[in-house]
Amino acid sequence: MAVIRVPQPPKGAFNKNRPVSALLKNQILHLHEVEKRFPPAQHSGIYINRIKTEGEAADYIQKVTARLHPEGAKRVRFDIAAAGETRAKSRTKSKRKRQPKRKKL
Amino acid sequence: MPPGLDSLKHIVVLMMENRSFDHMLGALKAQNPQIDGLTGNESNLDTTGATVKVQPLAEFQSQLDPDPDHHFPAVDLQIFNGDTSNPRVANMQGFVKSYFNQQHDVGHSAKIMYYFTPDKLPVLTTLATEFAVFNGWFASIPGPTICNRAFPHYGTSFGQVSMDVFYVKEPYKSIYERLIAANPARTAKIYYYDQASSTMEIVNLLQNQPQLFATYDQFLADCKAGTLPDYSFVEPNYNDHDGDDGELLASDQHPDHNVQAGELFIATIYNAIKENPALWASTALLIVYDEHGGIYDHVPPPACTPDGFVAQPNDTGTGMPFAFDRLGVRVPAILVSPWIPKGTVVSGRTFEHASIPATVTKFFLGDYDPRSPREKAADTFLDLLSLPTMRTDGPEFQTS
Repeated sequence: MAVIRVPQPPKGAFNKNRPVSALLKNQILHLHEVEKRFPPAQHSGIYINRIKTEGEAADYIQKVTARLHPEGAKRVRFDIAAAGETRAKSRTKSKRKRQPKRKKL
Repeated sequence: MPPGLDSLKHIVVLMMENRSFDHMLGALKAQNPQIDGLTGNESNLDTTGATVKVQPLAEFQSQLDPDPDHHFPAVDLQIFNGDTSNPRVANMQGFVKSYFNQQHDVGHSAKIMYYFTPDKLPVLTTLATEFAVFNGWFASIPGPTICNRAFPHYGTSFGQVSMDVFYVKEPYKSIYERLIAANPARTAKIYYYDQASSTMEIVNLLQNQPQLFATYDQFLADCKAGTLPDYSFVEPNYNDHDGDDGELLASDQHPDHNVQAGELFIATIYNAIKENPALWASTALLIVYDEHGGIYDHVPPPACTPDGFVAQPNDTGTGMPFAFDRLGVRVPAILVSPWIPKGTVVSGRTFEHASIPATVTKFFLGDYDPRSPREKAADTFLDLLSLPTMRTDGPEFQTS
């Protein structure tokens, strides 16, 4: 069978300023339900009512999830290319450093 | 035992977001009439009384905005078109009216009837035609994500039809807890994308049993190393956010996230399993969607075994109670394994998300009583691994 090429999404697909969906709002509420039980010193410091965008939601979700599952922060080193992985990326005109190309083994 | 089941060591479930069967796979009926998809004549009436037919005009992004309503009252309208009589018959005629309610734009409301052509979804449609596609996999509840996602974990939503926080009730344990407590113990993991995306199963499992969780990076590493657990549940990326490697696109396909990003994610999961020959020979991968997202499907949801809970009118928002005796709208569901005959179409059987813990329990644990009536009655799917010898073909996806 021929290899099937899977197209990459276009550059404009990424939008961390997209307004949060109902799903993300509810995920935040569930996380907040748990955060309320942390000692005050371990709170995220983020007022969930001020979260308006996906990027802001991601910040909050990361902070609370890191408290609950710190192991999730560990980078797992493996060859991404050999696993056939590529993350859908959107390159912007930002001043982000160019990443070195990953080598196949 | 059939050789496919003799070889089976791992079950992997990937649950995507908010797309109906007809929206994603309905066009395949033209290639294979056995697939219960679209003829092109299916329709709803819009609010002016005009007929709105299904059309192959679905786009990857920026079309279903606002996000179509998929909460319980809206789905009730979509299925019953406002009929509140008792008994009543599902007619699938309320989708355009429901979407109109959100913006009061007649032209825009028609887009809820749009579907994808197969060339736009090369991964999903190839897997559907190469392996097993389910004509009758339904969401567990005619409602939104959180309560539907409870069913693959617990076989019930404990009476929830909404997105509200809920707490598990004895004696029903999650499939993960059942496996880990077995003698001999089995292994199970929930792989979430990364900490900024996290899991949707928070107040019960992430809070109380964080050891069940790992990240998507770990899933890929486990596939490469051949160390996947017996049962894996994989969650996509639920939001666009910056990561260490740059911008990370949401891959869940929930409107208005880019559908192509989800195709890439599905392909990567498939590739990760297939590129380890020992894993490929011993794994069954189920790709399924949690609910239809408010998007049109033509098949009326069937009745089902109630799960013992009742949602009151205040909770349903319809003025009527709900006895968890009817399934939600149909969703795409595909089972992938080299032991499945090419082009399998599963017809004449009803599946829903309780089929997942039912299948995993049956395979790894055998008899296990403390489960919801829904789960005990749910059909299981490993009988589809029916080939006497393993296939040596199978698609390859190039993702870079």
